[in-house]
Amino acid sequence: MRYEFRIAGLVSEALAEAFPEFDRVPVPVPVPEETLFCGPVTDEAHLYGLLVRFQSLGLHVLEMRQLPG
Amino acid sequence: MWNLATAVSPAPWPAPPDPPQPRPTPLGDPMLAARFAVPALPKILVRRPALLERLTAGVQGPLTLVNGPAGAGKTVLTAHWASEALSPYPAVWLTVEPGDAPGAFWAYVLEAFQRRGEQLPPEVGSPTRAEGVDRSFLVRLANGLAERPDPVVLVLDQFDSARAPEIVDGLHFVLRHAAHGLRLVLTGRTDSLLPLHGYRTAGEITEIRNADLRFTGADTCVLLREHGLEISEAGIRLLVDRTDGWAAGLRLCGLAMRASADPEAFVREFAANRTTISDYLLTEVLDAQPPSTQDLLLRASITDRIHPGLADTLTGRDDADWILAELARANAFLEQVDGSAWYRLHPLFAEVLHAHLRHRCPGLEPQLRGRAARWLAGTGRLAEAVAQAAAAGDWQFAAGQLVGDLAIGRLLTGLETDRLSRTFATMPTDLPGAATGLVTAACRLADQDLDGCTAGLRRADEHLTDDADLVSRLSRAFVGVLAGRLAHDPAATERAAADADRLLRALPEPLLGQHPEIRAMVLAGLGSAELAAGRLDRAETGLTAAVEASGRPGTEYPLCDALASLALAELLRGRLRQAEQHARGSLAVAERSALPPERLGALDHLVLAGVAAEHNDLTTARAQLDLATGSAGPLPEPVLALEAAVIGSRLATAEGDWEGALTTIHAAGSAAAPLHLADWTADELAIAESRAHLAHGDPGAALDVLDAVACDRPEHTVARARALLAAGRGDHAMATLADLPADALITSTSRTQASLLQAQAAAAGGATEQAHRHLRTALGLARPEELRRVFVESGPWVGRLLRQDPRLAHAHGWLLPAREPGQLPAGACERLPVVIEPLTARETDVLRQAEQLLSTEEIAAELYLSANTVKTHLKSIYRKLCVTRRSEAVHRARDLGML
Repeated sequence: MRYEFRIAGLVSEALAEAFPEFDRVPVPVPVPEETLFCGPVTDEAHLYGLLVRFQSLGLHVLEMRQLPG
Repeated sequence: MWNLATAVSPAPWPAPPDPPQPRPTPLGDPMLAARFAVPALPKILVRRPALLERLTAGVQGPLTLVNGPAGAGKTVLTAHWASEALSPYPAVWLTVEPGDAPGAFWAYVLEAFQRRGEQLPPEVGSPTRAEGVDRSFLVRLANGLAERPDPVVLVLDQFDSARAPEIVDGLHFVLRHAAHGLRLVLTGRTDSLLPLHGYRTAGEITEIRNADLRFTGADTCVLLREHGLEISEAGIRLLVDRTDGWAAGLRLCGLAMRASADPEAFVREFAANRTTISDYLLTEVLDAQPPSTQDLLLRASITDRIHPGLADTLTGRDDADWILAELARANAFLEQVDGSAWYRLHPLFAEVLHAHLRHRCPGLEPQLRGRAARWLAGTGRLAEAVAQAAAAGDWQFAAGQLVGDLAIGRLLTGLETDRLSRTFATMPTDLPGAATGLVTAACRLADQDLDGCTAGLRRADEHLTDDADLVSRLSRAFVGVLAGRLAHDPAATERAAADADRLLRALPEPLLGQHPEIRAMVLAGLGSAELAAGRLDRAETGLTAAVEASGRPGTEYPLCDALASLALAELLRGRLRQAEQHARGSLAVAERSALPPERLGALDHLVLAGVAAEHNDLTTARAQLDLATGSAGPLPEPVLALEAAVIGSRLATAEGDWEGALTTIHAAGSAAAPLHLADWTADELAIAESRAHLAHGDPGAALDVLDAVACDRPEHTVARARALLAAGRGDHAMATLADLPADALITSTSRTQASLLQAQAAAAGGATEQAHRHLRTALGLARPEELRRVFVESGPWVGRLLRQDPRLAHAHGWLLPAREPGQLPAGACERLPVVIEPLTARETDVLRQAEQLLSTEEIAAELYLSANTVKTHLKSIYRKLCVTRRSEAVHRARDLGML
């Protein structure tokens, strides 16, 4: 399954590389101060692990959702 | 003829040494020491009186939570509170770390109490295995806390790191059961898995959450002033808005602004920028450092803790001592671990630095980890060295270190098993080399995966020549012993044990002294293999040596294991007292050292069941057998499963459940068939089955099943004689007994049985005097171990014979166990029917009607009694005959000639 995480603020390339399995999609106007990460999530353990990793890098998750398909 | 008079009672066996008290785990490591100390406060500290007061008020109740994201100031607040001694009760500090397995967690909690000088009663014990602790340890801990005159506060910093649900469950249990002796303060990034709702409903919780931890404008102002910065009110507002009062963000702002020429401009720029706060600020702070410092911080981000020596190894320079001291002085998110040369990075900073390292220097990380591993190994930090090497994918080094340090046993016993096995969990299984093969084999062994273990050993053997180093060869022999045992291959076990023995002699004592588990586990493994092969003498020698070799911390597991096997060996030799003593010793060690129950204890309970069965204490036997087979799931070793079936069938036979007894035996027999077990196990099953057939009055079937197993064990011969006698072939039976070799090792149970058979044959032939003589011999043989069961099984004739000789009956009062007061437990109150309280005339009438299969109401009508009176009579009959059901009462009364 694929997931999308909406992170507060623009995430630099250095931090984005901590999530190599994810595509980083800067959100265009009108909300330029958010970053979208899209990518595969293997299972629940992976999902919760990701949330912990976002948190440990000081990244604030605003929203997450499973992508269709 | 085999002369019973020459049968001597077994030689007295010296009592086993008292199982040694496990001493507290030596936790002398300064890194560990730091986990028990209240963390140093930042030099720039904003006092937050309202929050400190809430903590003080919070510990008046059982639970206080301080929750917030990384860098929210949870630890700083709690450490401030603890270091100013604001707590009304003594406060014990423990920093929890990810990967603390439950056993290790509790060991650290106890250590934290001890270091703070808060004594717990010694009977609490201490955990010695990583995987977990048993419930009774938690009960003892809770009791120890409940008995304190005043409560103690336990601060568990970073409690969200405790991932294992068992830790949370255990903590909840202890908190609930410690009366008011324990107050918990938990800090964490996520809400703990404790059932918080219950605590909230009961008003037993104080929560300090992110909204409370947020810095206000006033807090920010104080913080920045301490940094030597005077910022306008508008600037402060911008900062608080942008950071949302995030303490770490504001601290980073302070550092960055101090380095910037125009702080107000920094504020405006920061407020306008949309980059993630942590990233923006950390980059700012990092970029403000000189290049050598930046380089050091980036490289050091691969480890949790930095030592100047380690940092120099990572940078290839020699300036770390100075740079680290300078950074710690400047409060750049680096703090010195008290009283040591080590430093610790703020976890958030470390994570972001780590991301930057990978971004700026791709490919460097494994190289750095390899260097760190070598430095750590060189300074004797084996577990950390192995973890770094594993993270670098340098499995050869990781495995080589573990084997080279003779630490292979630590994968199987001790507090580090969990951490080490997780480290090696991702190691590919096809790496060439002796060390990787041995580590794979040991890891697979821990999972009881024999095929994987064998494959690992095969790979190791390809690289292990005779001129390989002693430590590797000893490690090979060590794993070989345990693998041989798991494979039920006594020959392989013995070969490996012989190698191990030779190598143990060749190795220097100091190295072996650090790893007492190697010798102890080799001896215990060898002893158990001998036991499985039915060589009881040799098993006893090996296992006794294993017990003697255990005793130092780290050998609790082999000690328990050896004592339990020793108990079974003694049971099989008919030495019930020693068997019971060893089984209880093993359980005591398991209890005190809080070994998890799943792999231990089953054998101990089994032995206690066997002992109780021989004593004819069927209630205890059934209870112990349930403990042995019930909770633990399938018994790990097939010999145990077989022995459990033998004892189970014996109990079922005693309870009159003939079919149940046979089902148990047949199930065990077919489960064991493909395992190629030693002959004696098949014979044990056959004897148990013959016993069930005889109880059912089918001597033909009993003989058939015994004759299907060709065996010259004395137990077999005696069982066969019994079946022959029951089949009316008394002469054959006596001739069979005469064939028993006089010098063989024969258990006192078998000897007693043989004498009883001779007595029975004599009595049947009218030779009363001879019968009495044999009975006297049997009683004399059975007395030391109080073997009651064999008399009960022999049938009612024993009682008749004994009643003819009141002096003999009087001299052997032990045959009748002390009568239990009150109601006898259901289903298991069989007593030796030697002396039976006679039934009253009315009771006999009731029983006669019951024999006609009349219902209670019908009996009442027949005898002109009320149904309740009939019930009263039946109860009295059950009690006198020691039965629980009407059909049993009728059978028993018939057997006793009372009907």
